[in-house]
Amino acid sequence: MHDFLFYGLAGLLVLSSLLVVILPNLLHGAISLIGSFFVTAALYILLQMEFVALAQIMVYIGGIVVFILIIILLTTRLGEESLAPGPGQKVWGLAISGALGGLIFYLVIDSIQPENVAMQADEEAGGLEQIGLRLLDTTSDGFIVPFEIVSVLLFISLVGAVVIARKDK
Amino acid sequence: MNDIAFPTTNAIGDLVRANFPASSAYIINGILGIAAVLITVALIPVFLVWMERKVAAHFQARLGPMRVGFHGTLQSVADGLKLLFKEVLKPAGADSFGFFLAPILPATASFLVMTIIPFDHHLQVTDLNGGVIYVIAISGLSVFGILLAGWSSNNKYSLLGAMRSGAQLISYEISLAIIMLLIVLVSGTASLREIVLSQQGTVLDWWIFKLPGLGLVAFIMYLISSTAELNRGPFDISEAESELTGGFTTEYSGISFSMFFLAEFVNMFVAGTLTTTFFLGGFLAPQIGLGTVDLLFDAVPGFVWFFLKTCFIIFLFMWFRWSFPRLRVDQLMELEWKVLLPINIIVLVLGAIFVAQGWILP
Repeated sequence: MHDFLFYGLAGLLVLSSLLVVILPNLLHGAISLIGSFFVTAALYILLQMEFVALAQIMVYIGGIVVFILIIILLTTRLGEESLAPGPGQKVWGLAISGALGGLIFYLVIDSIQPENVAMQADEEAGGLEQIGLRLLDTTSDGFIVPFEIVSVLLFISLVGAVVIARKDK
Repeated sequence: MNDIAFPTTNAIGDLVRANFPASSAYIINGILGIAAVLITVALIPVFLVWMERKVAAHFQARLGPMRVGFHGTLQSVADGLKLLFKEVLKPAGADSFGFFLAPILPATASFLVMTIIPFDHHLQVTDLNGGVIYVIAISGLSVFGILLAGWSSNNKYSLLGAMRSGAQLISYEISLAIIMLLIVLVSGTASLREIVLSQQGTVLDWWIFKLPGLGLVAFIMYLISSTAELNRGPFDISEAESELTGGFTTEYSGISFSMFFLAEFVNMFVAGTLTTTFFLGGFLAPQIGLGTVDLLFDAVPGFVWFFLKTCFIIFLFMWFRWSFPRLRVDQLMELEWKVLLPINIIVLVLGAIFVAQGWILP
């Protein structure tokens, strides 16, 4: 059952990711990007990483794709032929993506060892509480310093937005 | 302890589990739960449209719909049927894919959020540990429907309305998320069921009153931000009919339009249920500390209290809509970025101090 689900989702993921680059209309590409992010989230849920899946939807779909969409909507000449790549660009694109794909494939094949095969996580490993405790752990195992730096950065950006909005009076 | 006082299983689920093997009972119960939520999604707008028209009418000293059924109760059924049979028109040059995909998205988002709402301690399809994160993540989806509808209609009014609405939804989402974060902070959990159970006790133990003063401020902030997030008056600039004819729904007709209409009312219901869950004790009975009254209130099932509280919040939304004049676009943005956001940040920091000092019992 899980294998079946995995291959179905993986096929959908490949299909929607391909559509992102192939579709001539930018907006349609952005919509299939939403689809591909959703399928990725579903894969995370299959791996019992509920929090990562939710974060994926919140950050990528709720944040990044919305901004991509707004930028696309503000662009003129949407979906016209001139946006399609020329023959020279196609050759270069194929070469670069082929090289990158080959490298990733090689590294993945190389790293498949019996001890690296993913195992079922124990009940709460991906849970909210466990992640929170781990983030706030002050021992060498924890992530307290990066966590604090990131939260200060985010807080500064929030306050900065308010300050910028207030300035033009 | 909470699981004994508030069991998670209900009679129908037990019946299925008793008659089927465990693995198929699991699937059957899931399907039954989702079907129940779907039926709720389909029926809630029928009631809310009637309620909206009645409330609006009485605010304007009219009677509202009176002819179809008792006091017009069947009016929205008749209107809904009429909308279903109307022709769906697509403007020339519109993008078919986006045009027909867009109406589905907002309704889907509100349906997905409804699946984790605790209508009662045993009436919840599933309880996620990260329920609040799920709510924030999924409710971001409805903005796609609006942006897509505006762009693919190939109409300048639609596009303008969609862009306004997109900016509005993204801005007010920040305020909503901060208030949700405050509730997560004080209740110590992100699961909606646990948030409700953290408010056990008398009325004064609900989060709206439990935090001295802070809860009330947070509640008002949450109400304002939800109203804006719902695109309802006084924040309905995305479909301001005097400026934009109909905003992003200008080119929609028939069933496509009614999907947007349905989503608007289901969204209002979802916002009401979330407010009830976060601030008004969810399915808990309002106990006021008098022995007999409390016993009487406790005898009423939890979902009745839940729906009563939700209806009260929805009534507040309608009250806002028919009392305040519409804001201008710049006023709307000013309100969020210069007023609500600073206040919300201060409220969140104060809440953190309360928790760190141990002034709030977990």
